[in-house]
Amino acid sequence: MKKIFGTLLILVLATSCETIKEYEKQYINDPEMKLSARSSERYETSFQVYREAASGANGGKTGGGCGCN
Amino acid sequence: MLSAFGFSQEKDTVNLGYKKRVLESIEVDFLSSYYKQDGVHSSVSGGMGSENLSDFATNIVVAVPLNDDDVLSVDAGISAYTSASSSNINPFDKSKNNPSATPWQASSGASAQDVLAAMIVNYSHSSADRNLIWNADVAFSNEYDYTSIGFGGGISKLFNQKNTEISLKTNVYLDQWRPIYPKELQEFGNNNFFNGFTIYDQNGIASSNYLPSSFLSWNKNNRNSYSASFGFSQVVTQKMQFSLFFDLLQQRGALSTPYHRIYFADKANYYIGQPQFISVYETTQNTGVYHLADAIEQLPDTRFKIPFGARLNYYLSEKITLRTYYRYYWDDWGITSHTASLEIPIKISDKFTFIPTYRYYTQKESTYFAPYDKHLSTEKFYTSDYDLSSFNANQYGLGVSYTDIFTAAKISIFGLKNIDFRYNHYQRTDGLRANIVTLGVKFVQQ
Repeated sequence: MKKIFGTLLILVLATSCETIKEYEKQYINDPEMKLSARSSERYETSFQVYREAASGANGGKTGGGCGCN
Repeated sequence: MLSAFGFSQEKDTVNLGYKKRVLESIEVDFLSSYYKQDGVHSSVSGGMGSENLSDFATNIVVAVPLNDDDVLSVDAGISAYTSASSSNINPFDKSKNNPSATPWQASSGASAQDVLAAMIVNYSHSSADRNLIWNADVAFSNEYDYTSIGFGGGISKLFNQKNTEISLKTNVYLDQWRPIYPKELQEFGNNNFFNGFTIYDQNGIASSNYLPSSFLSWNKNNRNSYSASFGFSQVVTQKMQFSLFFDLLQQRGALSTPYHRIYFADKANYYIGQPQFISVYETTQNTGVYHLADAIEQLPDTRFKIPFGARLNYYLSEKITLRTYYRYYWDDWGITSHTASLEIPIKISDKFTFIPTYRYYTQKESTYFAPYDKHLSTEKFYTSDYDLSSFNANQYGLGVSYTDIFTAAKISIFGLKNIDFRYNHYQRTDGLRANIVTLGVKFVQQ
């Protein structure tokens, strides 16, 4: 319950952040600021899925599609 | 304080006078990697033996703009591996008068290598104001003993002048094993197979009492996975943004691996090979004897996973960006884990970026895990796969990225936009070590 409340609180606080206009996003739009893994990281993620029990929560594949755990 | 409990967003304006294409032109990515690992806990040999494995993978990803709003992408690739562990699915070479099977070396079996072929086709559509994006995809992969068909879709909504994004993705994978069992279990009862082999007991005395009574062939081969992924991202300041990810995954069906051997501590041990190596079986001095399996890995036919992740990126300066990631993972097999990574891209010129990375991973073992020869035959579920054991892992990496937004270098009608090279070293506390190098090249149609 605490974790759910904390998540909701983060979401509410986050949406009350300052609104950044499009012309002010020169830093946010930098390619290194992208909120996702690089395409060249896919093979590292793949061996981590095979060699570790955990998967998912990175915007990509969560599980299934392979004979791995 | 009051504003913290409200939404301080401005109404999104919609100006359809000019609409930027989602994708300006065809983009082609070529990706390749070489991976090599070694360790001492082969799951094919029941948690004991060489984990030497090499894998070469390559993919081509083509993204084609169909019009201003729609993009079709195709991702196709192959992965070819050779594995000492997998070769020991059948470690017995009958051509030799004095068999020298051992979990510490590769055998000449056909299962030593395999090729995985995979393809994903994705279609995405963006609304005119670019605030709503939906996609649908189908996936297919196949290797010698496993086939997967998958499909899914997702939707993303941006608002608050694209400072906030929420997304939902769902995927279904309908997979099927074509199970291969450890040779001695598959052939048990076939007198022709064991002719020419002497089976020894723990004391090196010839015996005819080997009886893997706990082994049962699978009566179902399907493995299905159903997932829902939720995402939320938010621009916080001009230099900072973060995202949260939350997944739910349910798997059903044949979740064990059919060629992972199990040895029971309450069952007598039997071997094929040279009995003088039985006393040193668990060391690399064993060059000539193999422990016959009591059973194969047995895991529940359902698994429920919940990972929760977060990214936070901060633009420190024109030269340096901080990229961070954290994930907490839980599943109903008793496994919990934490993942944390830090990446620091450093722009050393307008075209070259130097990217040191570090990743830490810690995992608590599955309820069903026990090391080699520690399980009891009275247990309902059992595995000696060290990927499901307790361990910590450190991963150190270095990358170099070359980007030319003017694509001065060209091949035919395609300009070279980006080259990424990455090297990573991975080390687990149970002894597994790996190295991987990756090369990615992006071309853009001129």
